[in-house]
Amino acid sequence: MTTPLLSTRHLTVAFGGAGGLFRAGGTVRAVTDVSFALYPGEALALVGESGSGKTSLARAILGLHPHSTGEIRFRGQDTARMTASERQAMRRAVQMVFQDPFGSLDPRLPIGAVIAEPLRIHGIGNRASRADRVRELLGLVGLPADAVNRYPHQFSGGQRQRVAIARALAPGPAAIIADEPLSALDMSIQSQILNLLSDLRGRLGVSYLLISHDLAAVHHLADRVAAMYLGRIVEVAPRDALFAAPAHPYSAALLDAVPRIGTGKRIPGHALIGDMPSPMAPPPGCAFHPRCPRALARCAEEVPALIRFDADREVACHNPLVAGGA
Amino acid sequence: MSEALPERAVSVWWLRWRRLQRDRAALAGGVVLLMLFALCYGAPWYQRWWGVDGIDADLLSRFDPASSTHPLGADDAGRDELAHLLLGGQTSLSIGLIGALGASLIGTLIGAVAGFFRGRVDMALMRFTDGVLALPTLPILIILAALDLSKLGFSQEFIRSGAAGYWRIVLIVTLLGWTGVARLVRAATLSLTERDFVLAARAQGASAWWILSVHILPNAISPVIVATTLAMGRVILAESALSFLGVGIQPPATSWGSMLTNAQEMIGSAPMLAIYPGAAILVTVIAINFLGDGLQTAFDPRADGH
Amino acid sequence: MIRFLLTRLAGALLTLLALSFIIFALIGLMPGDPADLLTTANPDATPADVALLRALYGVDQPILLRYWHWLEAAAHGNFGYSRMESRPVMEIVIPAIGNTVALMGTAFVVSTLIAVALGTLAAMHKGRPLDRAINLFAYAGISVPSFWLGLVLIYVFAVRLGLLPAGGMPQHDEGFGAGLAHFILPVTALVIVETGGLTRYARAAMIEVLGQDYIRTARAKGVPEGRMILRHALRNAMVPVITIIALGFGYLFSGALLIESLFAWRGMGRLILDAIMGNDYNLALVCLLFTTAMILLANIGADLAYSWLDPRISLQIGRAPKKPLRADGGRP
Repeated sequence: MTTPLLSTRHLTVAFGGAGGLFRAGGTVRAVTDVSFALYPGEALALVGESGSGKTSLARAILGLHPHSTGEIRFRGQDTARMTASERQAMRRAVQMVFQDPFGSLDPRLPIGAVIAEPLRIHGIGNRASRADRVRELLGLVGLPADAVNRYPHQFSGGQRQRVAIARALAPGPAAIIADEPLSALDMSIQSQILNLLSDLRGRLGVSYLLISHDLAAVHHLADRVAAMYLGRIVEVAPRDALFAAPAHPYSAALLDAVPRIGTGKRIPGHALIGDMPSPMAPPPGCAFHPRCPRALARCAEEVPALIRFDADREVACHNPLVAGGA
Repeated sequence: MSEALPERAVSVWWLRWRRLQRDRAALAGGVVLLMLFALCYGAPWYQRWWGVDGIDADLLSRFDPASSTHPLGADDAGRDELAHLLLGGQTSLSIGLIGALGASLIGTLIGAVAGFFRGRVDMALMRFTDGVLALPTLPILIILAALDLSKLGFSQEFIRSGAAGYWRIVLIVTLLGWTGVARLVRAATLSLTERDFVLAARAQGASAWWILSVHILPNAISPVIVATTLAMGRVILAESALSFLGVGIQPPATSWGSMLTNAQEMIGSAPMLAIYPGAAILVTVIAINFLGDGLQTAFDPRADGH
Repeated sequence: MIRFLLTRLAGALLTLLALSFIIFALIGLMPGDPADLLTTANPDATPADVALLRALYGVDQPILLRYWHWLEAAAHGNFGYSRMESRPVMEIVIPAIGNTVALMGTAFVVSTLIAVALGTLAAMHKGRPLDRAINLFAYAGISVPSFWLGLVLIYVFAVRLGLLPAGGMPQHDEGFGAGLAHFILPVTALVIVETGGLTRYARAAMIEVLGQDYIRTARAKGVPEGRMILRHALRNAMVPVITIIALGFGYLFSGALLIESLFAWRGMGRLILDAIMGNDYNLALVCLLFTTAMILLANIGADLAYSWLDPRISLQIGRAPKKPLRADGGRP
């Protein structure tokens, strides 16, 4: 069993909403009791609707947000016990691509400087070698070398996302966390960027943690898929297994909402009812039970644990769909 | 690649300059300001060419009306009014500029620290800022301007020197003028630290210093420029009020405000001597406000495509 | 809400306390001290007399002690005597407040009305000559030195035209018209200065409101422009303006130091100036603290007004923001 590149155990990320002028305080748990692992070389997709906690999870992993309880491990080492230089090494190895290509690049800097910034922060190379590396990266992502002096606002959304990807690749990371990298792009551009990501993975062997609500993209890129609902992981499965026969009713409903992925049978009658409840007032027991067509009495009382369902699957459900049919 | 590459590098500042160029009022304001600075600091040349004196009294020429020798006439001490006006302008304009810059510097520092570090640092700094804001500006300025420095231990010579008077005014307007910039910079810093490119830098483990100097301050500079410009107008008005009340610039030094001190008594006999300095202030501050507002529109972040 | 009020009021009190010490210390650094002023009036005073006087006034004590004495007395409502006029401070301050409110209040009302009207006009004719003219006037208002404006007005109307008095306050024996004449010039100066800034706010607020969808709907429905402005646009545009006005309330009491001095108006502004220049601790402290207190209260009031008036500001979490008024006046 190889050491996972990144893993978490019982991770909880809470936001303390401090009481303001006119309102009462209260904690919001964006992520509750999440345990998962990302192995070297694989692409793991994190899917779920907005508000499911995917972004908070990513930010907690990167240390951009403190987590309340649980562990985060990088190559087996607990991040809470790392020294400053070990933490810095982790930051080099795990990079992030953000959702908004407009907001993730500093408008004041020419994109050569944007891409080189991680190199400068980590103290990699000198001016000349950094310039070379930037040129190399531009080539990798399909942008011409003399784009170096141009400014972000001169580029289109798709091009900016390429710049963001180049920046993420600059320090030679082992893993890239891509938080909804396609959502802000036009449909036609999405497939280009998707292909780029896929291509880069083949060439460089970098791992991906792909956060997305776009199941078509997930199908294209991911080896394994984890579904999240209201801060908890409800199912983890290999891609084909999940798409062919989802075990958790939520996964089934997500797939049901997408027009034809083109794999296996679709389970009818699993459309989602209603909206996701607010993370501040999660329903008791299984958070999904108010919208679940398969809810049992037990579901309203007991939170289902994430347990092994199959050889390579985990599900958190009291009444999962039996693989292979309703 | 299916998308075309832009022809040449076009920085955000260049875009803003283009936008500013289209605002005629702002450009006019800027040009007027530059001309005023040039004229006032050109006073020595004017005095030499025209053969007039704006400093030494010539009691035989008192209140001479406008003529070819004295384009604006002579003042109550026989000095050439125009020369005196230009010399006074040097003081008023320079105090305006330096005071505004000083206030901006302090305000930027405080605002950036408050907005970046948040929490208790922010609260403490903001309470302090609100406290200073609550002070009644003009009375406190008057008190500070009229302070007897000998009670603080300064020597009489130092106090009487013109430099002490000049720099004292600059100091007190700076002391009270930084609050606006501080709030602006704080607001800009607060919103900037939420932006993804700052997050990206933090994810790389960048130090606070790096983030502030590379990302925050360059992006926050535009409201600061606007605020500094507008502050210049307020400083000029404040200095003129103080000098008018007799606690600001003292003779033999002169400023537009101090030229108005005697104006009240002379309003019957030599009204124009009261009109000129005030008109000069009015023109200057209007120009500053036109320019400042133009800058604000040109620097509007929404227009940058954010 | 109560918590908010209490916290802010407590904060205001603290600020006033801190301010009182600062002002106390600063006035102490002003030229001369009370004993000096008396001795300059009486050249026969010997050094022994001066020392006695100093002891009498307590000027020889350390500043903290003097401040403490003042604070103690103030806490009991005793604000002391004015050194300049040898009367209890409150006797002097109260009528001055009245004089200032009369002047500032008039200017306030007039300038608000004019500013709203001008701002609305400018917004309605945005970009056209009328708008530019109003804009220019507004700029001039905020750029002009108020005391110079007063001087010009005095010159034109009092000295050259002889129409109005050059200053002074209405006297009892003057009659209504003559008394009113004393108001006109100072109020005009104040109005010109205040209207400038307020007009720009009103114009900006109105422009934003006029750009909203529900206004366009009303226009499309054929609602006449005038009625639409009055009934719909104005109400919503007034929200930011009202907060500015609420803030302006504070200045109602501080008076315009320069204008009052210029026109010999015995109000708070003039009083503050005289007290500062005359080294009159008690008077200066009370005046300054009073005006600051009014400004702080006005700030709190403005905050309350803003959150109450703007339905988009949700005061509690979980409460859905209300939508703005519809074109026909009803709520969706």
